[in-house]
Amino acid sequence: MISLDNVSAQVGDFRLEDISFTVPQGSYGIVIGPTGAGKTTLVEAIAGVVPTTKGRVMLGGTDLTHAPPEQRRLSLVYQHAYLFPHLTVRENVGYGSTSSRVTVEMLERFGLGEVAGRDVRVLSGGERQLVAIARALARRPEVLLLDEPFAALDPRRRVTVRRELRTIYFERRFTALQVTHDFHEAGLLGDVGVVLDRGRLLQVAKPEELFRKPASPMVADFLGAENVFAGTVQPIRDAVPDWVPSADAEDVEHAVAFTTGGVTLYALGHVIPGNAHAVIRSDDISLSRVAGASSVRNQFRGIVTELAPAGAITRVSIDVGGLPLVAAVTTRSARELQLAPGVEVFAAFKATAVHIC
Amino acid sequence: MSAPSQLPPLPADLTLDRPRARAAARGEGVLSIVVALAASLFLLFLVAPLVGLVGGGGAAGLRQLVSDDELQFSLLLTIGTATLATLLGIMGATPVAYALARGRFRGRSFLAAMIDLPLLIPHPVAGIALLLVLGRNTPLGSALWAMGMQITGSVTGIVCAMLFVSAPLYVSAAREAFDRVDPRFEGVARTLGDSAWQAMRRVTLPLAWRGLLAAAIVMWARAVSEFGAIVILVYHPRVASVLSYERFTAFGLREALPVAAVLVLLALVPLVALRALRGDERLPSRRR
Repeated sequence: MISLDNVSAQVGDFRLEDISFTVPQGSYGIVIGPTGAGKTTLVEAIAGVVPTTKGRVMLGGTDLTHAPPEQRRLSLVYQHAYLFPHLTVRENVGYGSTSSRVTVEMLERFGLGEVAGRDVRVLSGGERQLVAIARALARRPEVLLLDEPFAALDPRRRVTVRRELRTIYFERRFTALQVTHDFHEAGLLGDVGVVLDRGRLLQVAKPEELFRKPASPMVADFLGAENVFAGTVQPIRDAVPDWVPSADAEDVEHAVAFTTGGVTLYALGHVIPGNAHAVIRSDDISLSRVAGASSVRNQFRGIVTELAPAGAITRVSIDVGGLPLVAAVTTRSARELQLAPGVEVFAAFKATAVHIC
Repeated sequence: MSAPSQLPPLPADLTLDRPRARAAARGEGVLSIVVALAASLFLLFLVAPLVGLVGGGGAAGLRQLVSDDELQFSLLLTIGTATLATLLGIMGATPVAYALARGRFRGRSFLAAMIDLPLLIPHPVAGIALLLVLGRNTPLGSALWAMGMQITGSVTGIVCAMLFVSAPLYVSAAREAFDRVDPRFEGVARTLGDSAWQAMRRVTLPLAWRGLLAAAIVMWARAVSEFGAIVILVYHPRVASVLSYERFTAFGLREALPVAAVLVLLALVPLVALRALRGDERLPSRRR
């Protein structure tokens, strides 16, 4: 388990402030954030490589805030591998290894047997990263910290290494925390998602919740939500009696009307009336050429302004009374609907697809 | 089909101005000659005295090395004391250099400036400063004397003077050597189970050793060439620089020349060593 309680750290002029989250024992945590968010500083603070100035770092239930890195029973893999250049591949993997058998096992599992005797300086970027991961795992850590470990790998090798790492993770069930820029990777790997920006914690949630219910427009924007609108929100529960509150009295979601520009969207949320943001993921918006009668609360007529095909998915930009919406549809659907700039379409999405933050 | 329209004239600044281009080429040629002349004169100024010295006294110096007991003793004394001072410098100054490279403590800049100070003051002044602390009539000097350790007029004094004036060079170069080793290497070693000392021994020192060795060579060369501080603190026994000075003042240029030439030849040893070290650094690894 990794548990941080109000942890602060400083490196030069950069400050990481009041970070609190927990990655349960055996879970896989993901840290996401833009460049300069403090992701590397965060993992370094957990590793004890960067001293904390405040707060508590608990690893495996033990307070290790002031323990030196070698007593934290963890391994750290940096984006740039940091292989010891005066040692061979085998010597690097065996550096902190629990036994020579484990070293050999790691070399074999990551396909490094043939290059085991080589100078690490002659390896490719991908091979170097494999050695770094094998070296970290050979220590049999209880906590594995990974700072963008797949960034240097080509796409094919990335899939292979990720799969191998995943297999070892399921075998050993250590606790992992991985820094990534890749939203796809975050959704694929993570049990817990942590979003950072400029040294501050923006949100901690399950990755799918981060994507569906971002805590702020900044998180939504960073996580790639294309439809983020500023506006005002008003509860409309009394006016719409067919909308039933949640069964949990503590967790009442109100039906709300969100007005942005001249357009009103319908949504559900725990919302204080006033200024807010609405987030709609582009793949939650469906398109048709005719208005349809359905339970969908939000249906708007618009004009296609742009098509951006990218393989099987096409992103369609639509002007809805001045509101720019982006919908992601399959390229085949876009072709069947004969979508083109200037064509009139109807964009529809459920009230539950609108997240107010 | 319409007739092709005439191309518009090029802007005035893009048209080929042949006289101006020729003048520019002429100007560049003159500049090259002036730079080459200045560089040649400067190199001549640096090299000519040394070449003259070795040419005039090198052969005699090498002959004297075999026959002149005083010169032999003086050279051995110089090499021995410089080596001892360098070893002491490595032991004492390496942790200081590491602390300056890695530490982020209050007063770090002040400490670095204090360490550099002996490089900036005239060396006889350094000798006087040492005399004020280590002289027989000072508290420390008399205490050392009571313990049987004589500083002034002794080999220990020579080592002290050499250490004082040359150790700052070692600190500065060793600090750069440590700076070149990314601290994240140490961080990784620590997470792989090393204590701070083990990470230093297994990672930092192996990665910094070339820089540290170069720093030690520079320190040794500086110690060998020291005169000002030594002559204040220890006139006897005479190191090579003091011997060449004494022969110059007592017997003139002709007698001083062979000793001076031998000192120049001795200075070539660290120079060649440094060149070899840097050349080796650029070679690709032979380990596969």
